[in-house]
Amino acid sequence: MSDFLEENKLSDLPDDILLHVLSFLNTKHVVQTCVLSTRWKYLWKHIPTLTLHSSSFSTMKHFARFLSKILTLRDSSTTLHTLDLVHHGEIESRLLKNVLNYVSSHNTHLKELGINVRADTCLILSCVSSCRALTSLKLSMYPKSCYNFSETLFPNSLNLPDLTSLDLTNFVFCGGQNGCAAPFLAFNKLNSLVIHKCTVKHAKILRISSETLVNLSMHNNKFNIGIIELSTPNLHTFTFSGIPSQIIRGSGLSSVKLVSIDALMYSNDRIPPMVLLSWLLEFANLKSFIVSSTTLQVLSLFPNLLEVKHLFLRNLKSMKIKLHPHLLGLSDVLEEVMLKKAAAKSRKEATKLRKAFNAGLKPPFIPDGIVDFLLQNSPSAKVDITTIY
Amino acid sequence: MASSSSNLISLKTSDGTVFKVERALAKTMKTVQAIIEEADANIYMIPIHNVFSHHMDMIIDYYKLSVAGKSKEFSVEKLDNDELKDFLLAVHYLNMEDLFEVLTQAVADRLEKKSVGYVRKYFGIENDFTPEEYAAIRKKNDWAFKGDDIEPEEDEEKQEE
Repeated sequence: MSDFLEENKLSDLPDDILLHVLSFLNTKHVVQTCVLSTRWKYLWKHIPTLTLHSSSFSTMKHFARFLSKILTLRDSSTTLHTLDLVHHGEIESRLLKNVLNYVSSHNTHLKELGINVRADTCLILSCVSSCRALTSLKLSMYPKSCYNFSETLFPNSLNLPDLTSLDLTNFVFCGGQNGCAAPFLAFNKLNSLVIHKCTVKHAKILRISSETLVNLSMHNNKFNIGIIELSTPNLHTFTFSGIPSQIIRGSGLSSVKLVSIDALMYSNDRIPPMVLLSWLLEFANLKSFIVSSTTLQVLSLFPNLLEVKHLFLRNLKSMKIKLHPHLLGLSDVLEEVMLKKAAAKSRKEATKLRKAFNAGLKPPFIPDGIVDFLLQNSPSAKVDITTIY
Repeated sequence: MASSSSNLISLKTSDGTVFKVERALAKTMKTVQAIIEEADANIYMIPIHNVFSHHMDMIIDYYKLSVAGKSKEFSVEKLDNDELKDFLLAVHYLNMEDLFEVLTQAVADRLEKKSVGYVRKYFGIENDFTPEEYAAIRKKNDWAFKGDDIEPEEDEEKQEE
């Protein structure tokens, strides 16, 4: 047996397997393998993935030099499969152009592209649209000036027929004549959609319509609209964080099996609790529910919540509650509500409670009765409570 | 062709244990699949060299999890580096695409942010550079070593012009 082990050292694997392992690593470390042995001297040049993160360099100058070198010295005839450029800051135009030109000249088989920079967005978008073979695209772009957070217009004409995974940050989706924005219609194979900090313009409705969509994640979007239309019959997972403010119309939520929500609210607003409850009523097939304590707190502010009897959440198997630190504005609202309830009983109770709050008492992380409320139709569901801090 | 009673395929590992596995699982092993297809008659037992029974146990675990849609729960954390390497080699021999991806990622995770010396030891690589050759290649590619606080041989960072 020991003979076998010696004969089959990992280093006896063919180059393409070694490169496969290396392709998961930051490109900086891949190039460093050149000093391992004579066999590895030039192996790095054939790496099919370029993971270019400025965070692995201590200065922008080092990163810039690395970029120039890697683009020149990498073996140009090796297929480029993945490129991921991340720099949370301004990138010099010339440098960005070099990277984009490299991408364009190796776009035939490029499957995965990620760009996260502060730069001229037009250049980036025209490069992206030339990469017709893409299956995965992750874009996060902010304009050059660090005080400018304006969004990039998401182009209608992005022709990426094989795209299965799309992750967008800081984009604006424009509506058409019917007051509806449907930015993802052209992606016939879309499997996973993640949108962060995006907004909608010239539309009242955001429409997401896809037979193939399985995962939808929405984080901290600034949608100033009231309705999201979801036609996603195969949606399996729904993840949300931010202030719930859009009613979700359409059958999209009824197929979902796993939901993860981290909702928040900073002031006394009727809408988030109402919207949250409306979503819950749609989750007909939900099996697993992951929810933050702040979400439960927001939900508890729906007037007379515990009296709502509904055949929702009938198939729940597990609920995981993650305890988050108290949110200032939200805690104030909860305290107000608790004081009102106490005052309805007696002035003495209200005074006692007010004193307690002043002395540092906080509202409960998990509002009373809310777990039972959620499990009213699935009493045998498993409940797990964990702290995240 | 095969009768319906041969829904199970017999695989014999290097240490002599026989595993009866579902045809669907055997299908994920391209090497095994090729052997089945090449055989003229029904094959009773397929020997799988380089694969041990503890590897097969883990392969079956992974298969069961992926069938249940829980492939993300599969973990090789408890394996030490050598065990992981051996498992990767076994899965590579069997030519199992998905599990191979999982294991190469796991190997990469263990190599991340490790020094050159660690990587050399992990892959079992002998340094066949002369000191002069090593210094030359190190200098030539120093643009990939700048601003790295892991490499012990790194010079004090100089301000570049």
